[in-house]
This record gives sequence, C-alpha cells and structure tokens, in this order.
Amino acid sequence: MDIQNKILQVESLTKIYGKGDNRTEALKGISFDVLEGEFLGIMGASGSGKTTLLNCIATMLKPSSGKVILRGQNISGFRGGALADYRGREIGYLFQEFELLDNLTARENIALPLSLHGVTAKKAESDIESLAAMLDITGVLDKFPGQMSGGQKQRVAAARALISDPAILLADEPTGALDSKNSKKLMDMLSEINRKQQKTIMMVTHDANAASYCSRILFIQDGCIFHELRRNVLTESTAAFYDRIVTVMAQLGGGSANVF
Amino acid sequence: MFFKQVRRNAAKNRKGNGLFFGSLVIAIIAFYTLLSLGGQDVMRYLATVESDAVAKLMALLPVVYVVSLFFVLFLVYFACKYQADSRRREFGMYLMLGMKRSRLFAMLFCETLWSSAVSLLIGLPVALLLTEGISLATARIVGLGIIGHHFSFSLYGIFWTVWGFILVQLLSMLVICIGLGKAEPADLLRSGDAEKQTVSSGAKSTVLFAAGLGFLLIAYYLGMTRMRTLSLYVLLAVVLCGILGTFLLYRGLGGFLGLRIRRKSPHALGLQTFTARQVQENVLSQHKSLAVSSLLLMMALACISYGISMGIGRSADSRSVDFSLFGTEEQIDAVLEKEGIREMVEDAYPLYLSMIKREYFRGEEKAFDTSKLLEAIGTVEGFGDMVENIIENLHIEYVIAQSSYNRILKNLGKEEISLSGRQAAIYTSVAKDGDFGRILEKALDRNTSVGIDGTDYEILPALYYDNVVADRAITLYMALIVPDELFAELARESKAYCRNVRLSDELVDEMGLMQAVQKMDAQLADTGMRYDSYLGGIGRNLFYTVAASYLSIYLGVLFWLIANTVIGLKYLIGQRQTRHRYETLTMLGADIRTMCRSVKKQIEIYFSLVLSVALVSSAAAIFTMFTSFTKLPMGVPISAVAMLSAAALTVFAVIEILYISVVRRAADREICGIEITDRR
Repeated sequence: MDIQNKILQVESLTKIYGKGDNRTEALKGISFDVLEGEFLGIMGASGSGKTTLLNCIATMLKPSSGKVILRGQNISGFRGGALADYRGREIGYLFQEFELLDNLTARENIALPLSLHGVTAKKAESDIESLAAMLDITGVLDKFPGQMSGGQKQRVAAARALISDPAILLADEPTGALDSKNSKKLMDMLSEINRKQQKTIMMVTHDANAASYCSRILFIQDGCIFHELRRNVLTESTAAFYDRIVTVMAQLGGGSANVF
Repeated sequence: MFFKQVRRNAAKNRKGNGLFFGSLVIAIIAFYTLLSLGGQDVMRYLATVESDAVAKLMALLPVVYVVSLFFVLFLVYFACKYQADSRRREFGMYLMLGMKRSRLFAMLFCETLWSSAVSLLIGLPVALLLTEGISLATARIVGLGIIGHHFSFSLYGIFWTVWGFILVQLLSMLVICIGLGKAEPADLLRSGDAEKQTVSSGAKSTVLFAAGLGFLLIAYYLGMTRMRTLSLYVLLAVVLCGILGTFLLYRGLGGFLGLRIRRKSPHALGLQTFTARQVQENVLSQHKSLAVSSLLLMMALACISYGISMGIGRSADSRSVDFSLFGTEEQIDAVLEKEGIREMVEDAYPLYLSMIKREYFRGEEKAFDTSKLLEAIGTVEGFGDMVENIIENLHIEYVIAQSSYNRILKNLGKEEISLSGRQAAIYTSVAKDGDFGRILEKALDRNTSVGIDGTDYEILPALYYDNVVADRAITLYMALIVPDELFAELARESKAYCRNVRLSDELVDEMGLMQAVQKMDAQLADTGMRYDSYLGGIGRNLFYTVAASYLSIYLGVLFWLIANTVIGLKYLIGQRQTRHRYETLTMLGADIRTMCRSVKKQIEIYFSLVLSVALVSSAAAIFTMFTSFTKLPMGVPISAVAMLSAAALTVFAVIEILYISVVRRAADREICGIEITDRR
C-alpha cells in the first residue's frame, strides 16, 4: 500500500433522490480517500447509503454534487464515450448476483471487457489463462454459467472484473449469494490478489467475516461516515479484526438505545 | 376503481407497444377484407352475370375465414403474450397484495375487451378505406376501371370481423391466463428470465442440420422433377420432407452457429461474440417458431406469386366487340332498328366465320395442305417439346372473311389487313405473347404458305389475335383469314356467323362501359334474341381472377404479416427477457451506440435466417408450381410475370425492411431505457 498515492478521492459527495416532499438525501457530503493497493471495506445498515456511494463511484449513478476523482480525473462529470471508456477499463465491478451473461461461456465473459476496448481474446489468452489458474476456474472456462456452481460463477465474474487490469475493483456484497465455504474461498483469493498484485479493492458488505479481510473499514450511517476501523495487517489477525468489527457494528446499530 | 384501472392499463399497453397494437389492427383489417369481398365492385358485378359461380365462391369464404381465424389467433396470441410477459412482475405484485387470481383474470379479460373496442374503432375505418382501395385497384387491374364505383359497407363483414376478432383475443388471453394460473407469485415477481443456455452437442447439431438440409433438398428435387405425375404419394413426400427438413434445419442451426462462434470468438472485437451468442440463443430456444415462420413466409410467397400470375393470365384485353347477336338477318335488322337500341350502336357488321368444307379434308389431291407451314414450324429452335406438340396438334378448320376481320381492326383503330389474291393470314385467340405465339411468329417469318386446291397461298408474316366475337370465353385455336371470294369458296356456311355490335363511344364515355353495356343488355333481353356481351364474357374471366388470384394473394399477405409479426415479437420478447444483460454490458464499458448496433445486427441476422430459407424454398415451390400441377395460362408472357414478380419482390423487400426497422426501433427504445435508469 502506497500511503503517498491516493488512487481515489471522494469529495463532499451528495446524492439526493426525489423532489419536494419525496426528497431523500442518501449521501450527505461524504469525503474520503482510497490509497493505492488498499483493501477498503464499506459497512453500514440497510439504507445507510453504502450501495449508493459505490454506484456513484462506479458511475452507475450521477452524484447530486461533489467530486469523485480517480487517478486525478473527476469522473462524476463523464458522459457518453468517456463514461463507457472509464467503465470496464479503469474500474472492475463485482456484483452480488454475479451478472454473468448466461449465453456466453466463461472465457467469452472474461474476454468481453477487453474486446469492448479493442483487444481480442486471442491476444489476451495468456492473461485469461493465468487469471483462471489463480481463481481456480480453468476447468470451467468453456462452460456456460448455467453449468457452474455459485462459487465458480463469482470467481469467473472476478476474473472478468480484473482482466482489463483496472485501477480499482469495486465489489458490491460479493459474498451475498454464496455459501460460507465459497465465500471464504473468494475472499482468500481477493485478499491474495490485493496483497500480491497491490490491486486496490473497495468492497461494500454486510458480512463481518468478509469485512475482516479488509485493511480499513468505513462505517456509514444515514449518508455520513460514522466510524473508521484500521487493521494493522502485519500484527493483527483477521480473527481479532473480526471481533472489533462486530463491536462497532453493535454500536452502529445503536446498542439497546435504538430498540423501540 | 376496477374499471378505471382496466382503462388505464389498456391505454398503457397501447401507448407502450405499437407492435402489439399494430398486430391487433392488422387482424381486424384481415378479417374485414375477406368478409367484405361480396360487397366489392367486381364481385357485385360478377353476381349479376355469374351468380352460380359467385355463390360457390361465397360458400368457400367461411372456410377461408376459419383458416384466417386460426392463423390470426397465432398473431394475436404472440402479441398478447409479449404484452403479458412484460407485465409479469406487475401481476406478481397484484397477487402478493392479495388480489384473487379470478379478479386478476377478470381484469385482464376486461382490458382485452377494452383494447378490442379501441382497436376496432381504429381498425374498422382503416379496413373500410383499404377494402375500397382494393376494390378500385382490382377493378382497374381486371379492366373494369371504367365501371362506376360504389362505396361498399358490409354489415355482415363488420359483424363477423368484430365477432372473430374478439374471439381470437379472448382465446389468446385464455391460453395466457392458463399459463399465469400455474405460476407462483414468486415466479412472476422474478420476471421471465431467459432460458438457460446449454451446450448443445456440436456433433448432434451438425447431424440434425445436415439431415434438415438433406430433407429439404429431397423435397426440392421431388417437387421439381416428380410432381408432374400428380401422384398423391409424391405430394405427401414433398410436403413431409419440406416440413421435416425445415424443422430439423432450425433445430440443428443453433449448435451449428455455436461451432462457428467458438471458432471466431478468440478474434472477436466489441460485441461481436455477444451478438452472435444472442442470435444463437434465439435460434436454440425458438427453433420451432423460426421453422413455422419460415414455412409461413414460403407459403406467402408461393400464394402471392400464384395469385399474381393468375391475375395477369385472366386480365381483360382490348375491347374489340361489345355484343355479338345471333339470328337471321331480318331478326337482327329488326332489333337494331328498334328505338332505344339504334342510337346506342356505333357500328354493326356481320362476322363471316365458318368451318372449312369437309371435302377439303378428305385427303384427296392434297386439297388443304399445311405441310409447308408445319415444316416452317419444325425449323424453329429453342422451345423444346413445344414445337413438336404444335406440329402434332396443329389443325386449321376455320376461315374468317377478310372484310369482317378488317372491321374489327378498324374499330380497334388498327391497320387493316391487305391481302392480294394469293395471300392469307393466320388468326389465333390463344397465344398472345406466349410461347405458342412466338413459335408461330418465327415460323411465319420464313415466308411460308398453305396449299388450297393445289394453289399456294402465301401467309402474311404477322399473326392476328384480336377477338372476333364478344365472348372472351370462346377461343378459336387457329383460323385462316382469307379474301372474301376465297371465303365464299371454302366456307361450309355461307351465312354470317353473327352480327358484331360496337356501342357508341359517346355513350360509353358518358355512362361508363358497364352501365352502357347493361343498358343495352336490358334492351336486348326484352327482344328474346340470343346474344353475347363483352362484359358477360369477361365476367367468367373475372371470376377466375377473383377466385384464384384474390384469395391466394389475400392468404399470402396474411401468412406474410403473421410470419413477420411472430419473428418480430419473438425477438422482442427474448430481448426483454435478457434486458439485464444490457445493463451488465453498460457496466463493462459498452456504450448505448455499440449496444444499438449489436441489436440491429441481431435483428438483421435473425430475420435473414428465416427469410433466406423461406426464399430458397419458395423459389423451389414456385418453380414446381408452374412446371407441374399448374401452368401459366396460355398467352401469359413469362416476361410480364417476371417483371411483376420482380416488382412484387421489391415491394416484399421494402416492407421487410420497414418491418425490421419497426422492430429495431422498439428494441432500441428498450436499450435507451437502460441509460435513463443508469444515469437518473
């Protein structure tokens, strides 16, 4: 992790849905930085604004105000071609429901972001093979999603998100649709990629287990950053970090104060 | 509240889905066009002259109506299914909120009825306008453009259109409701996902594809070479092989495409692989619809071609004689002098037409010798067996007096024949522009002659076709036009065959031909004289035109519309079910333009897959039709049929392109909808 190099800067980001009486402020001026090689977790209760935040960074939503600066470029103002170019090249996105194109084989799914940006699967063959080996999906490369397990699908989706070597990997509840065994396998692999390749990952999750793999966690409540946890990767085990996360989550819920 | 919701939903359906609504309007037009046939100008006229034949045709209409009902049911079913599929989530929500299924179905049926009412309000006036257009156009095509046009409004047609349309709508809704009745709310809320893609075995697909191709080739071969025998077994074999071949071809096509995609995908750029896989998925999951649509299109093309060629074959020719009166000279003179008749007649002249005396054919002294003519015909090349057929069957048994024929030519404004003492000309009423005529003309170019009583009579190089009597149903295979003196010598009957009458041009201009002829007809009918009229003669021809041409074109157009709508709707249903894929593509960096291009390509390939097989099959079917069990009517120039077919094919292509662009626009709207959600 390079503490000097900020890969992503989020400045005073707000997002307002609706108008007049229906106006809902999902994000209330959030600011934070993400450093290169960091594994950042975003946690919060349902409706706290964490997925809205991720979608604004992923350009799936246009923020009402504020800036999202990726590698020095304000991407919140992008439109049309620039937007399409940014997606798939500068960011990789991992969905909760995998969102693989079920009429394409795993290999074709993985190659899709490349071919959209002018690179054929043939040219990227070695990259696809090495990513597949790392994510343990070599055996299913020529299968359709309908013929794979949930874990395999999510790992294929991870390969697709990483194939174009994006600046940042955004993950929205990546373990949400997986069983505990496959969740662990996926998180081990993401963690390894983060560690070995210094890939920046930003992950939204409910799952304290998954969050314990992160190096830093931002807790969001009602559209604001409520708390931040940092893990000393060298000295603190994931189990110890997990305990701390659970404690904050209990406080985030307000303890008994919020029980009606 | 319930009815307000019904009205609101029905309005939303109409606004949101032009293709759905358009299909309903097409169904209405199809029904009314068929049912109002009896009220059309041509049919009303035919009923006055050929009431038996018209009654038979009218008895056939209910059968065609039921057949159309069956096919329109498909059209409406797919349109309603497309609509219902897009609302599955909404239905699921209703059920989750506690709405009883019976109430949901009642709501859907009421919506259907409401949509039916609105479609009828729009469709019926359009249908009325269209049938009026068809009525005028048919009258013009068959040469009755001069007849006074009456606006026709068929209450019978409207009643059965409304009844048939509501029936097919309700039946379609019933089938859809049965499907919905079995679905759990959770299934509905999940919305119709696309069927999961499976890896179909490449080898199995290739075998199926090859088998399909094989069966189709067998069907083409049998059709083109063995159908002439008119054997029922051959017909059955052709139909079965054709249907089986088409189904197997599409069944195997998906896997076959898969093999190609696998080979090409490593080098693909942009959305090429995605586009190809989308097409493959549509083919895999909808191979039956594709086969049915392809067969329907083939039938459409065959029906339309048949209808067009029959239409040209029976089209009316120039009006040389309006009435032919039969009787003694005194009787005819008396009739023509009558008040009310005299002033309507422009010209009246006796037609000297007779069989040649028997003694000329007894084989003595070669009294009537056609050997030189036959010899000349024998030298004509490039017409195959036709030349030999003519030589075997050629016989000249009739003679026409030059003066009579010249009066006919004069009335037509054509140059009269000038024959010297040793000259004759050949007349035929069967072969204008056909192969028969062309062969004869080529033979006559070689300065041939016929021998009569040992004297050679040179035959003029021109062939004469213009009708000699009013009734077009009478055909004179071949006759010799000879100078009047020779006619007197050769003719078995010295008296005139009939008296030809041409109506005054002023009267025709003033009243229109039909009314003028009918006025004369009424006058003549009172006299008790035997006579034929021009319109009475073409009445029979018209009947064939309407019966064969109109009905087959009608069915052809109906099949065509249904096939296109089924393909279009099937594609759009598939696209809607896979909408989330386009959302994913957006996230992976595909922009709207790239996705729209992919959709355009998908639609083009999808339609081409159906059209290409249909075009090849219909070419084979049309070839079979005109070489085997039905022939182009004698005298129909193949060039005219080819030109008209080319024009029809152009219209076909233009309408296909329009259809494709309508489907593409609907698909593009879906894609653009993604961006709105995406960047709200």
